[in-house]
Amino acid sequence: MSVTLISVLFVAAGLTALGAFIAAWNRELSAALTGLPVMFAGAGVAFVGVARFGATSGAPLLGQEVAVLLAIAALGAVGLGVGLAGRESSR
Amino acid sequence: MDSLHAIGFYVSAALAGVGGILLAFLPGHWRRGLALGATGLGVAGIYASLSAGFAAIVVLVCYLGCALLVARPDYRTVESAAGGLWRQVGAVGAALLLLGLAYAAFRGRFAHATFYDGPFNTMTVARLLFAHDALATDAVAGLVLAALVGAAIAWRRERPRDEREGRR
Repeated sequence: MSVTLISVLFVAAGLTALGAFIAAWNRELSAALTGLPVMFAGAGVAFVGVARFGATSGAPLLGQEVAVLLAIAALGAVGLGVGLAGRESSR
Repeated sequence: MDSLHAIGFYVSAALAGVGGILLAFLPGHWRRGLALGATGLGVAGIYASLSAGFAAIVVLVCYLGCALLVARPDYRTVESAAGGLWRQVGAVGAALLLLGLAYAAFRGRFAHATFYDGPFNTMTVARLLFAHDALATDAVAGLVLAALVGAAIAWRRERPRDEREGRR
């Protein structure tokens, strides 16, 4: 059993498509928002995979850096989305 | 890559996938938070098995933060105006996206390189973040700051349970 760049990219494709599905399928907007971190995770996995298996020149860990930045951006996006949805008043 | 890392990679990928599927179909805030946390754990495991330990820790912290935000019981439920047909069109679009990306991964010709860095790489990633690409780091920090300040300001205002009820 081994892991290659192609298997990493398959996982990345699956996560990206799953995130798009979550965003499209959920009727509730705050639930649809949770598709965004999953899509970002898919992009991050692809970047880390390229940094691990295919970076021949330049900074080899650039993909890991992008994955870190994507995770932080996902946190900011979810925070903004939940904040914009707003607090529910108690009735 | 040895067998242990390979098993870790596939188990983590399965965990991330199952978490994502549960995220799509589970109702309720805390259940969705739990599913997002499982997805984050899976993604962190994928990174760790790909020798990206530092990125794994950052992803774990960020996705657990996302999960805690999503699991809050007191944010408002906003329903989309799009009908069932558009949701199904979106789902078909996601399937087409999966097919396209999988085809690109399968047919692509990628260069193979030997990986020389260690399993954690804190120093190298820090050099990239704060020296090589400091502007990108500043941009993401500014983006997150603006997002959190905007979220805090928007959160202060209480809204009725459902917009449609407020309009009646």
